Amino acid sequence: MAEDNIAVIKVRDVLMITMPADPGDATVSALQEKVMATMVQTEAAGVILDISAVETLDSFFARTIAETAQMVALMGGRTVIAGMRPSVAITTTQLGLTLGGAMTALDVDRALDMLNHTHQ
Amino acid sequence: MSTEPQREMPIRSEGDIVTTRRTVREVAQRLGFGITDVTRIVTATSELARNIVLYAGAGVIRWRELGKSSRVGVELTLEDNGPGITDIEQAMQEGYTTSGGLGLGLPGTKRLMDEFEIASEVGRGTRVTVRKWRRL
Repeated sequence: MAEDNIAVIKVRDVLMITMPADPGDATVSALQEKVMATMVQTEAAGVILDISAVETLDSFFARTIAETAQMVALMGGRTVIAGMRPSVAITTTQLGLTLGGAMTALDVDRALDMLNHTHQ
Repeated sequence: MSTEPQREMPIRSEGDIVTTRRTVREVAQRLGFGITDVTRIVTATSELARNIVLYAGAGVIRWRELGKSSRVGVELTLEDNGPGITDIEQAMQEGYTTSGGLGLGLPGTKRLMDEFEIASEVGRGTRVTVRKWRRL
């Protein structure tokens, strides 16, 4: 299985990442490194993590997202987690997970709005 | 309705966590669980399978479909021959971890499932059994 197959795309000054439905630990870890490297290369101001396809968000995945958001914040950026499914939101909350300092949005469209307002 | 025979699959690597999640998802969907319960069951499986890889290195998951006149359910047993848990009460406490994780795996899994049983012996291994029922 390809572990590093997630594209990090820069749109204007925002990095966009779409997570697959059921990523393995290696894919989740690779994502964190790729986001940090691309932040520096592209001088992005924010990150949108689209998790609308994600069916399972366990403690490892949630911790990696929270950590990544914290790292992005240390580099002066903002992170928005977009598109969490209702079933995932319910399960994540009951499991006791939080996403740290990451902002959340219903979808990518609203996430872009949030980042634009932040920078104005 | 009779109880189905138990089936099993080894858990030996991080990659097996994904395979385990997929298998349990199929079982839960076939049993007719709704999307939120499927997500709960699969997420609980992910936590328990990762515990095996993290603490014991390898283990096994067994599952079976439970049938009663008024309800159907699924039973998952995750077992390893790892180091075992010294203090189960402590391991069940929110935020307690020996691996630098969040310490949510066991208490969180218990909340996601209807029934939760854990047995562990130091030096021998750990066995966790969870069940989820679907109301008909």
